[in-house]
Amino acid sequence: MTEAALQNIYLNNFHKNNNAKFVPFAGYNMPINYKHGIINEHIHVRTHAGLFDVSHMGQILISLTNENIHALEVYIPLDIKLLQFNKCHYSFILNSHGGVVDDIMLSKIKIEDEEFIYIVYNASRKKIVNTIFEKKILNYKIIQDRCLIALQGPDSFSVINSMLNLASSMKFLDIAILEYENTKVFISRSGYTGEDGFEISILDIIAENFVQKIIQNENTILCGLGCRDSLRMEAGLSLYGNELNEEINPIQAGLSWALDKSRLNDKNLNCFHVLSKEINTSQSIKKIGLSPVNKSMLRAKMTLHNENNKKIGKITSGCYSPILKKSIAIGYINKTLDMSEKLYVNIRDKLEEIQIEKIPFVKKNYKKGD
Amino acid sequence: MSEKKYTKEHEWVKLEGDIAIVGITNHAQESLGDIVFVDLPAVGKEVKAKEELCVIESVKAASDIYSPLDGEVLEVNENLSNDASIVNQDAENEGWIFKIKVSDISQVNHLMTLDQYKEFLDK
Repeated sequence: MTEAALQNIYLNNFHKNNNAKFVPFAGYNMPINYKHGIINEHIHVRTHAGLFDVSHMGQILISLTNENIHALEVYIPLDIKLLQFNKCHYSFILNSHGGVVDDIMLSKIKIEDEEFIYIVYNASRKKIVNTIFEKKILNYKIIQDRCLIALQGPDSFSVINSMLNLASSMKFLDIAILEYENTKVFISRSGYTGEDGFEISILDIIAENFVQKIIQNENTILCGLGCRDSLRMEAGLSLYGNELNEEINPIQAGLSWALDKSRLNDKNLNCFHVLSKEINTSQSIKKIGLSPVNKSMLRAKMTLHNENNKKIGKITSGCYSPILKKSIAIGYINKTLDMSEKLYVNIRDKLEEIQIEKIPFVKKNYKKGD
Repeated sequence: MSEKKYTKEHEWVKLEGDIAIVGITNHAQESLGDIVFVDLPAVGKEVKAKEELCVIESVKAASDIYSPLDGEVLEVNENLSNDASIVNQDAENEGWIFKIKVSDISQVNHLMTLDQYKEFLDK
């Protein structure tokens, strides 16, 4: 894609003025890092707080009606009617053979007494997911006048609390509608870095004011997609297009915890017959964490081999971990593999030994309920 | 000691007799970002100019480094195996990557001077 065809996010000029380096990502011109560089930004999020503009992501408000619930539950393996209000749920939009069309965050919220389903979805899947919404849902609004700002890191609560009146009872995956400068913000205690933090959906017109105030706090720096990727990998979180695609189902991806098991017997779920069978059978592939025995860098698409040089899997994400100070990777291997055998990765036509690591690589630091 | 020369692949070359010291330019390290690993070439390896010789890994991606001249790898900067970020800190001195014994010194004439490299960057 040429640069001219890329879309800019609303705060593009703000990022430019803050010396962001940009990369094309999912059709958007996105900050990859700012002046401190990816490694420093990464460490700052683990120790203090980092602000990410993730306004490229899709956001939609869907009127909470029985018809819409029924239509969404064809694709989404949650029991939406039973979900509590003001809680976020990690879930999927699934195709008819159980493959992941997108991974999403879904919540039920009330805005001035009106009830909605609020979904945040991937920028790279907007076209496909919007087509499903357009065909199947009545009364919805694809949000185009709001930024999505993530503040991540152990200092996030105190930073946000100085601006919005957060309930001290707000825990990981709670979502609330709060007021900021006479506008409504949707704020969830969530994120995709493995740290405590918040995602804030805020009207475009007030977003720069909000972001400026956050970064005035000495514990907060601007962070780009570069460290967002290494942070999510350390936390062992899947990324659409890497670990997830239409050919892999959530059970193979090690995400069966996110499925509402009661829905696997529900004929209204388009892939119930596949997933209900798969959940009880052992899968042919398995997600694993990896690191090199020597100092090489592991990258997505490298192939994995056994001692006899037989291809037994591949890496889906690889990066340098600033916390572990070595390369880490996530990949899929054939589950029949003898785990006592040595494992190798093909790096530029040389086989190098690698070892299996526990996922997450770095302990998650969420503020969960007692 | 001669003045430094530059390649379109953003390497710098400093000649000391028939030995060329090679690294990546400051411009290159800036655009690569945090460098975390240099896959150094084997000492004794014979190379041709413009041949891929080794790989430098930044947090963003892997990039090939080409040999600017024909020759044989004489020495590599082992300090980079312990701390690849030396390339970020001092790309054009301490961050040198390899030395080659040059087989055809006249090839140097095809490389750019600093002014020509600056002009090349501005294009």
